[in-house]
Amino acid sequence: MARKETPTQPPRRGAQQHRIQFADRSRSWRRHHALVARQALVRLRQTPVASLMTLAVLAIALALPGFLFTALSNLQTLTSGWDPEPRIALYMQTELSDQSVDSFSRELLLRDDLSSVELISRDKGLEDFRRYTAFADLLDYFDHNPLPAVIMVTPLSSDPVQLPLLQAELQALPGVNEAQLDMEWVQRLNAIIALAKRGSYVLGGLLAMAVLLVVGNTVRMTIESRRDEIIVSKLVGATDAWVRRPFLYSGFWYGLIGGLLAWLLVQMALLMLTEPAQALADLYLNRFEISGLGLVGTLSLLATSALLGLTGSWLAVTRHLNEIEPGES
Amino acid sequence: MAAIRFSNVSKRYASGQDALLNLDFELESGEMAFLTGHSGAGKSTLLRLIMLMERPSRGQIWVGQQDLSRLHRSQIPYLRRQIGVVFQNHHLLFDRSIFDNVALPLQISGYDPADAARRVRAALDKVGLLAREKHNPITLSTGEQQRVGIARAIVHKPRLLLADEPTGNLDPQLSEDIMRLFGQFNQVGTTVLIASHDLSLINRMRHRMLTLRNGRLVADG
Repeated sequence: MARKETPTQPPRRGAQQHRIQFADRSRSWRRHHALVARQALVRLRQTPVASLMTLAVLAIALALPGFLFTALSNLQTLTSGWDPEPRIALYMQTELSDQSVDSFSRELLLRDDLSSVELISRDKGLEDFRRYTAFADLLDYFDHNPLPAVIMVTPLSSDPVQLPLLQAELQALPGVNEAQLDMEWVQRLNAIIALAKRGSYVLGGLLAMAVLLVVGNTVRMTIESRRDEIIVSKLVGATDAWVRRPFLYSGFWYGLIGGLLAWLLVQMALLMLTEPAQALADLYLNRFEISGLGLVGTLSLLATSALLGLTGSWLAVTRHLNEIEPGES
Repeated sequence: MAAIRFSNVSKRYASGQDALLNLDFELESGEMAFLTGHSGAGKSTLLRLIMLMERPSRGQIWVGQQDLSRLHRSQIPYLRRQIGVVFQNHHLLFDRSIFDNVALPLQISGYDPADAARRVRAALDKVGLLAREKHNPITLSTGEQQRVGIARAIVHKPRLLLADEPTGNLDPQLSEDIMRLFGQFNQVGTTVLIASHDLSLINRMRHRMLTLRNGRLVADG
């Protein structure tokens, strides 16, 4: 049954034949990566229920901060339409004729401390009021249009010290009933958003730790179930990196697939919000479209997820793999 | 040149028990020897020291040119790749085919798959199990499993072949077949060291015999 070699050959020829070139080694390294990546994925499929449960936990943990970030940046986009340029609304005296209001607004255009002037005539105001508010019936109680003409001006400077001065100056102009600086509530809203963002960082950090622990624990159990394989591999000359590789890949897949599912959850949640958000925006005469994670957001969600999975499995592997040495068996 | 050299090697376990005491011997390259003694005499410990599954408490061990006491943990895998080991409990993996079991050392060393497949088939042919390559080793008899273990130990043509009670659970006829197999590997230049307590079999083989008693080398020849 043996395949005899000719006795004239020098005895060590066998060992020399087995020397592996560097190019071969790097090729085999890549080949092993591809193989192990595929096998790790197959292993996830082999225990579908357990894998899905783990992935669901990961997806939820990853989706929460993802959703918060998206919601907050949407809110910021929404307010950015108003925010950077504080506007002053000049409520004109109702006795003024449309014509004099019009010429007053033209005069304002000449000022060099205003960047824009927009006139909302009394009729236009009435029309908007009817269309966008639920109080249209109220108007029936009046026999004439009770609304004043409004001139929206945008100051060039957004300096918080200058603005009130300008406001007072405009208020003092003849014909102006009241000049209202509508900046404070936007500032307040922005402060709240900033706070919420900070909060979502904290939440995100905590959930990232949860992801690390979940992946770490799952990988730890995989390591336990493959104890024999690890010992045999080490006995026939596997390096630590070789033994570690399949577990790192399963952590990576857990993270990446969990991230994909999280992306799906976020997009679905945003889809559900689109309609009410649109209605709300319409109410404020604002053109606003809810935006999803976007390309950058999606990529960073996936990259973060994969990295967290990788890190979680790395922690588990370094902690448990050294305990499994053939010497102790 | 010596394939294995032990110089004043002792191994004491944490329990205070001396597994090996002041061991001195050399095994020449291309030599074949048996390691014998009662169970607990230190045979397995000696093999485990060569594999660096354990470190000696005292003394020095060389495998080829390599001083094992200077070998860093990260270099151990490369030492083990030069050695083929047949284990008493054969350590086969039952989650994969016989072929994949034998291919494992080649896969770890990074052989090209086609080349590896050729070598795996050659090794399986040598132990007479080529026809069963696709089976799971769990379907094999103990003797056949042992032969798969041998095929895995020699598939990468190691310079040094170690075996720990390779015939432990086998009937005399199978035992002799397996010992003859080791003899064939030795004839093509492999250094072979076999731990066994099957004295009648060993005596028939007419090779060098190292006898251990209570951790000491009491006979060599």
